[in-house]
Formats: sequence, C-alpha cells, structure tokens
Amino acid sequence: MNALESRLEARSRRAYEVGRLTHAVLRVSPLVPLMALALLGCSPSHEVLACAGTLLLVVTLLFWRGQEWSVGVAPGIAAGLVPMLFPIIIQVGGHLCLPGSCLLLPAGCAAGGLLGGSLLGIAAPRPRAGRMTPFIVACSVAGLMGAVGCLLYGLVGLAVMAAGMATGTAGLVVVRRV
Amino acid sequence: MERGIDPDLQSLMTRLADGDRSAFHPAFAVLWPILRRFTSRHLTPPEAEDAAQEALVKIFRQAARFDPTRSATAWVLGVAGFEIRTVRRKRQRRREAPEMERAVLTRPDPAPSPEDAVVLRDLEDALREALGGLSPEDVETLRLYAHGQRPPTSPGTFRKRVQRALARARVKWRITDERP
Repeated sequence: MNALESRLEARSRRAYEVGRLTHAVLRVSPLVPLMALALLGCSPSHEVLACAGTLLLVVTLLFWRGQEWSVGVAPGIAAGLVPMLFPIIIQVGGHLCLPGSCLLLPAGCAAGGLLGGSLLGIAAPRPRAGRMTPFIVACSVAGLMGAVGCLLYGLVGLAVMAAGMATGTAGLVVVRRV
Repeated sequence: MERGIDPDLQSLMTRLADGDRSAFHPAFAVLWPILRRFTSRHLTPPEAEDAAQEALVKIFRQAARFDPTRSATAWVLGVAGFEIRTVRRKRQRRREAPEMERAVLTRPDPAPSPEDAVVLRDLEDALREALGGLSPEDVETLRLYAHGQRPPTSPGTFRKRVQRALARARVKWRITDERP
C-alpha cells in the first residue's frame, strides 16, 4: 500500500468512527424527552440531570462500541423504564413529596424494580460462559434508568429498586438457563 | 452481481455495521479498487480518482447505518454513482460560468459616465442662474405652469403670461449659456 492509500485509509477510518458516533447519538436521542420527564418528579434536578446525563453517555458509548456491547442496551432500556416511571407517576399523580414519612414511594420503587427485573429476566440476552457482556450491559442500563426515577429516596430508594430488580431477574434467568 | 466484485463484501459491510473493527482493513482493500474501476469508466482519470476517494469516505461514514438485508454491492455502487453525477454537474457549471461572466461584463452600465455627470451639473447651474434673472412674476408664472396649476385669471391671460415668461427665460438662458 502506498502513502496515498495509507492516508486514504486513515481518513476513511476516521470517517467510520465519526459515522458510528453520530449514529449512536441519533439512536440515543429518543431517551432525552424521557429523561426530561424525570424532572417532573420531586427529585433534586441536579441529581436527576447527573444520573440522566450518565445514562445517556453510557448508552451512547455502548452503541458506538457496537457488537456484544450494544446488544443488551435495548432490553436494558425497556426493563429500566418501569422502575423509572413508577415513582414519577406516583409523584406527578398528586402524592406529596415527603421523604421519609411515606412508604408509597419506596414501595413504588420496589414494585417497579420487581417488574423491571422480570422483564429483564425475559428479554435480556442469556448469560453464557464467556459471553456475559450483553447480560451485564442490560442489567447496568436498566439499573441506571431505574435510578433516574428512584433518586428521591437516595440510597434507600436505589437499594430497594435494585433489590426488586435482582429478585425479578434472578428467577427467570435461572429458568432460562435450565 | 457485477463481475469481479468480491462476494465477501456483503459480510464485511455487515460486520462493519455491527461495529467489528477487524473488518475495516479487508473492507478497504476490497472497496478501493472496485470504486476506482467504476469511476474510471465514467470520468477522466483525475476526476475518477477524486470521486472514488469521496465515495469511499462516504461509504465508511455511513457504514454504521448499512442494512444487512440490502445488497452491499448495489449500495456501494449507488454511492459511487452519486459522486460521479456530482463531478459531472460541477464540470457543467464550470463550463457555463465563463459565459455568464462574459454576459455580465458586456452589459451596459445604466449609471451616467463621469463626463455626463459634469455636463448635467453645468446645465443645472446655468438654468438656475437664468431663472434667477427673471422677475418674481415670471418665476411664479413658470412655476404654476410647470406644476399644472392655474392662477385666478382667465386661461387666455395666463397663456399670454406663460409665453412672455418663456421668451424672457430663453433670452436669459442664451446669455448665460451662450447657446444659439
């Protein structure tokens, strides 16, 4: 390969990576209005924005990377929608935001986590030896999405959501592997 | 399938769309000669080289969006065909541009030349001086006449006044401008 072709290949490679990144950003863009919805809840805006920003960045990088790293993203988003939206619906529905004095919101996070975890157990790529990445990605994305909605109760809310999700996922994953 | 196109192109483009970077170099090695051959059939050598390079870069930029259910060959040649048409349109515009420039340069300038502007200014000054030498009644008569207005007198009387004022103005004008 001569010098011209080497330069052309380098230029083409840059174009390929830029094209992948652009495509990833476009694929992530529908999540932005969903994240904006999370601001309707009672969680502090800066925490929601930080969590949502992290989610968007992570999902963009996963899509850009591609292959097994992007396979788990769609099931993770679908599963994470439930624990994300449950607390928001409860809060927007008129329930007072009084941290610590009402069990409805943590219960909502737990129920959302359980349902989301069940969905994850059904839809996430089956974990296999040497091929755990898609399953881990799906769980991580679902957890991040749920966290956006359950931030109101801080670590308690997140822990409750995660516990519900793990419970919902574990049983179904075991069944699918058998 | 076009004769000579590597049958692996479909699998390479599919792998690239999936994000498999190890497919990049083999895809480049397959695509570059294909595109050069294709563009050289339709364009001159320097244009063919440019079009092939632009097509190659565009193909890789859009590789993430490649649909594996579509034919990679058709897609790649479609992009190259678009670049060929773009080069041909630019070539056509370059041919038309000199003709347009000639048309613009030969169009007559509607603005007066500097010499004409000086002559016009001198005439205006002479006319002002000539009118300045007339009596106020003559000036008022000519002003009304120029604006299409009539004083409260009979039309015949006004017509006579206009004729006399114009005659005196012509005399003044000849004296001022020394024109016959």
